[in-house]
Amino acid sequence: MRHRTVLEYKRYRYLKLAVIVVIAAIAGYAWYGSPVGRYGGTLMGYGLGTVGALLILWLMWFGIQKRRYRGSTGSVQGWLSAHVYLGTTLIVVATLHTGFQIGWNVHTLAYALMMLVIFSGFYGLYAYLRYPQLMTENLGEDTLDSIILKIADIDREARKLAVGMADNINQAVQDSLENTRIGGGVMAQLAGRVRKCPTANAVTVIQASVRQVKGEEAKTNKDLYALMLRKKNLVDRARMDVRYKAVLDFWLFFHVPLSIALLAALTAHIIAVFFYW
Amino acid sequence: MKVLLVTQTRNKKGQAASTEQTLVTDILRIGRGTDCKLFLPDPRIALHHAVIRSAVDGACYIEAETGTVNVEGSFERAAKLRENQRILIGPYEMLVLPDRKDFDLVLCVELIEPLREGVDEVRSHVKAGLQNTWLSKRIFSWSLFAIVLAVFLGWPVLSAMNQPPPEQRKEAVKAASVTPDASWDVGPLASAHASFGRDCNSCHQQPFVQVKNDACESCHKTIGWHFPLKTPVAKEIHNTIFPDTRCASCHRDHKGPNGLVRTDATLCTDCHQDLKSRHPKIGTANISDFTKNHPGFMLSILQPGKTGEGAIVRVPQDDKAKPREASGLKFPHDIHLSKKGIRGPDGKVNMECANCHVRDEAGIRFKPVTMKDNCQNCHSLEFEPKVTSRQVPHGKIADVVDTLNEFYAQAALADTPIDVVVEAGIRRPGERMSETKRQAALTWATEKAGKIAKDLFEDRVCFVCHQITPVAAAENKPATWQIAPVAVTQHWLPKSRFPHSQHNTFECSKCHQVTDSKVSADIAIPDIKNCRECHGGNEPAKDKARGTCETCHGFHTGSHKAGVPAIVPGSNMPKPALKQVSSDAPGGGAKQ
Repeated sequence: MRHRTVLEYKRYRYLKLAVIVVIAAIAGYAWYGSPVGRYGGTLMGYGLGTVGALLILWLMWFGIQKRRYRGSTGSVQGWLSAHVYLGTTLIVVATLHTGFQIGWNVHTLAYALMMLVIFSGFYGLYAYLRYPQLMTENLGEDTLDSIILKIADIDREARKLAVGMADNINQAVQDSLENTRIGGGVMAQLAGRVRKCPTANAVTVIQASVRQVKGEEAKTNKDLYALMLRKKNLVDRARMDVRYKAVLDFWLFFHVPLSIALLAALTAHIIAVFFYW
Repeated sequence: MKVLLVTQTRNKKGQAASTEQTLVTDILRIGRGTDCKLFLPDPRIALHHAVIRSAVDGACYIEAETGTVNVEGSFERAAKLRENQRILIGPYEMLVLPDRKDFDLVLCVELIEPLREGVDEVRSHVKAGLQNTWLSKRIFSWSLFAIVLAVFLGWPVLSAMNQPPPEQRKEAVKAASVTPDASWDVGPLASAHASFGRDCNSCHQQPFVQVKNDACESCHKTIGWHFPLKTPVAKEIHNTIFPDTRCASCHRDHKGPNGLVRTDATLCTDCHQDLKSRHPKIGTANISDFTKNHPGFMLSILQPGKTGEGAIVRVPQDDKAKPREASGLKFPHDIHLSKKGIRGPDGKVNMECANCHVRDEAGIRFKPVTMKDNCQNCHSLEFEPKVTSRQVPHGKIADVVDTLNEFYAQAALADTPIDVVVEAGIRRPGERMSETKRQAALTWATEKAGKIAKDLFEDRVCFVCHQITPVAAAENKPATWQIAPVAVTQHWLPKSRFPHSQHNTFECSKCHQVTDSKVSADIAIPDIKNCRECHGGNEPAKDKARGTCETCHGFHTGSHKAGVPAIVPGSNMPKPALKQVSSDAPGGGAKQ
């Protein structure tokens, strides 16, 4: 059976619910023509605002819910499906709540934060739908750990072989052994490749010296080349793996803090509105 | 193929121990996959790493399934197996032992590079997972939460709870470039409120309490309710219809420079389309739309001779007894606007409306037509034009008579050479007038003044415009005249507003047909049909200008939108009483 994504969960159960919410919000907005305009301060405005605020609280509850492995209600996939679809409805519900009035104030701040959270969520959904497959394709049978073990083996072999080679080759191999970094800081993890990779350099150096060596040394050179090439391939795959994991995580460093900031802005928004009623 | 597999292990001291296992298979698959006959559980080995198969020549061959195998130090895709050959498969060494009886192949397998050894260095160069970098969801979250809450909630609330007295607060707000509650501002204020708008507390006076009317009325002191609340019935109706209505129920601010005033038709029609259901004592007709069921206009006509509130009568314009104006004046528009022209002081002229009807400063209506500004240039009040350019004053009869008496007495006593003065005799220069002559001169002057007055009132000047009735002399009272009271209606439709300046593009005659009007009693106010030629109703209509209620009417009595009340003699806007300057006041009180 084909793998079903969170979007298709229970035959689009939450998509249907989201469509109902959106249609109800639009119909309510269109029907309630207040003489003082359509905005957050009318009865319909308060209604849409309440629905929006409750939705936000419920969506944030997902962050807590998904950590509860002994979840009381429903599967994590179900929750995620609902989180995605109902989160998307907020775009309509909250925009109608604003009555399309925006300004440089805490009210629009809350709206803008909410939109950032939603769109970072869209990116996260895209990442979850796309990158796991790429990760599988990239790793094949391996894991990052097995790649590391393989690299360690290659390093050991290469160290032995390189000892008998010319200085520049030995140096290049040593450099590869000592300075090949996988992952690292935020940017290095997200980049997935290193511009001046010592291993790539070793491959180039060894390849360049093919015509300068003869006899037994040529064979060693060839073996070393094969080793370094394998290592480079492993290193590249390891870096891509690190990159995919980083990309899968990175958006959450926006999604989560922005949603917490949204909670603060939403609180300020609601209190401000009624403080200066 | 029958294979004897010798698995060799070593203890910590390096002493070897081996186990043997017989494998019968077509091909010997090597790998970490559990389906491999030679199962090597190590992550560095591929699932299906290599296979060994026997060929037709009886020899065995090894073929790499993934990558290469290291045969005696050389990386090969495939190799023929020979005795004592060492083959490295990942961390395993595979030694081909000499053949034994009954076995096609004898292999000794030993793990020579156990897992983990030498791996630590590689691992030290690997840093995966963003959670291992400086990025921290927790720190980001708490920081943003704290900043947003402090700046957008804590600061405004604390400053609102610790307000200085109003005057100091206003000064502080003016001086501040950013006010704590600026971020709470939901939108631009109405233009008129912008000057104090940053001081939120000038309207929002109590936390969590809706803006009260007091806040509005502290500035808007003269604004009236929807109708005057002078009678108990009016008050009762008001309290029924507007029990909890706040100013802000209709006037929502923070909706842009022009957003404060409602202009939608429902403001009126919500009630006015069915007024009876609102209160049984309301007598006004139901109206839902200007084009559909708006009744004809009610003219407010000033009644001659009356002052105060009773001076105005309201008459339906389409009344069968055609309404007439009794202004007490004679004014034939047709003569004044005749295309042939009319005689003026400097010859014949063609008059137009604007010669007399001058727009007021607001451009809405017209300044009252006055004798001095609009008539007297042609209708001069000269009484002795051959001798003097003096005119009698326009106003009280007594002043006219006094002026004439004074003039002719002066003429008689000072021997002014007026033709008729000869009767009293001419004095020589330096000659003193005798008492007899003086009496004769004064008698002459009084008679002359009386004659001229009669002439002015009844034949020559006043009667041209006024309705004049002579009153015969009675005991101790000289003959005089009665002038019909003047009652020129200034505002025919005081409950509406009609900005003439917005209708500049039309000729006056488009709405006001007066060129054939022979008498001043004709009323030239256009009727509702005339308005409907251009104006539609609540809904936008093809080829029609807007015609919502608010186009002509306002909600508040007394507001500029309600239309200015008709000018009623004696009931003009009350002047504030002059205040006595206190002797204590600085620099005042010296000359009371």
